[in-house]
Amino acid sequence: MKNWSRVIMHIDMNAFFASVEQQTDPELRGKPIAVIGTGRTVVTTASYEARAFGVKTGMNTWQARQACPQLIFVVGDNRKYADTSTRIVAMMRDYTPLVEVFSIDEAFLDITGSLSLFGSAERIAYLLKARIRHELGLTCSIGIAPNKLLAKLASEMHKPDGLTIIAPDQVASVLEHLPVKELCGIGRNVEKRLADFGIFTCGQLGRYPVEVLKRRFGINGERLSQMGRGSDDSPVIPPEEEQAVKSVGHSMTLAHDVTGREGLLKYLLQLAEMVGSRARRYGVTGKTVHLTLRYGDFTTVGRQQTRTSPTNQSEAIYQDALAILDTFDLSQPVRLLGVRITNLTHHGDQLPLFEQERKVALATAAMDEANSRFGAFAVTYASVLETEEKGSHVISPAWRPDGIRRVDVK
Amino acid sequence: MVVHGEQVRVAAVFEPGKRIRPVWFERHRRQHKVLETTYSWRDQVGDTTLLHFTVSDGEALFELVYNPHEGNWILKDEPLAL
Repeated sequence: MKNWSRVIMHIDMNAFFASVEQQTDPELRGKPIAVIGTGRTVVTTASYEARAFGVKTGMNTWQARQACPQLIFVVGDNRKYADTSTRIVAMMRDYTPLVEVFSIDEAFLDITGSLSLFGSAERIAYLLKARIRHELGLTCSIGIAPNKLLAKLASEMHKPDGLTIIAPDQVASVLEHLPVKELCGIGRNVEKRLADFGIFTCGQLGRYPVEVLKRRFGINGERLSQMGRGSDDSPVIPPEEEQAVKSVGHSMTLAHDVTGREGLLKYLLQLAEMVGSRARRYGVTGKTVHLTLRYGDFTTVGRQQTRTSPTNQSEAIYQDALAILDTFDLSQPVRLLGVRITNLTHHGDQLPLFEQERKVALATAAMDEANSRFGAFAVTYASVLETEEKGSHVISPAWRPDGIRRVDVK
Repeated sequence: MVVHGEQVRVAAVFEPGKRIRPVWFERHRRQHKVLETTYSWRDQVGDTTLLHFTVSDGEALFELVYNPHEGNWILKDEPLAL
């Protein structure tokens, strides 16, 4: 691959959750299906057959059924998807150690150093595709380009089961008439603001005076100009080189909207325990506690409180989150709660000096040990026991197969 | 470790390369021959790894869960699909 300074591959699993379900149940293959969660009925992924009818992620079941009356709803199994993703990432690591997991169904690979071993980028792509299909029955779309921005763009071009290569000498022609919204990182807001300048295509964006973009978009102006020209020097970052996490948090969409303080407390305690136990497992403490609330009308509010000393004790996180909760208007129904600690310190545990605190720390350690052996929430606070659904039921975009970002989902 | 379902008798082949292939299982005193394992995946609950197998006997789809720690097989609640 002459003229290629780097060879980057982007792999995107096609309709991931829906494809796993179609593989699991042969009766679903070739049919329009939508994967939904438990409780709130929102489509998390639709099969390509369902997408052809206009079924989209985020639709509620009623809207989805309107779009496609013969749609089959399947309740998703996040643990199955997390394991499948972990296995796919392991396959990728057989071709290069430089694998950056972008989300549960997407990853970047820097295969520059692997070409002499495997022959060519196309060969690596076909080997990976064949392995994923043979071992899991799933398909993926692969993009190969000189950088991450273009590799992602390439993988989007042919779906499902595509392989697209954008060579360095094709970049200008590919981008010339491409709408700016097709680039990863340009959302609706930026697209709209660019349109105000008469910029609709990447070609126009790349040619636009960078000084004007900088004045309008600040430090992002230069980045936008580079994106318009297909330039991106960001490296593929494997997990061992990732920056230390800056926060540990969990949020929960409640099964039903909850009105009033009392009804929220058990969820708040559960979230504090989820945050605390993950922070303790990875030896981090946080000095700032954040609480996020989303009301039934989707208005989202958040506040934070900084402590005198960092903590990873669930009880302390709960008390701080509770103090913040009491500053909110709780007369409206609440749809979502989120607790997060930031201002992190990464260090090992230290046994407190004072008797009472030491007892709490020892009891917590005993609880953690039991939970690490028997599973999350095997031992927990009595008031959490009544909660119907314990643990994380949503795979966050920040989910990773290894380390502190690997959240065990239900 | 709680998996909802019933403990069942399963015949399985433990193949080289840590691969396990269920061959038949019993449910309500009836032996079901596994015609196809449509999907398999593993799940970590505490320090226990559970191996899940979605299997078809040609009539219905079932989920069998093998707990290597306890050496038992659980047939999850009801057939997944008919």
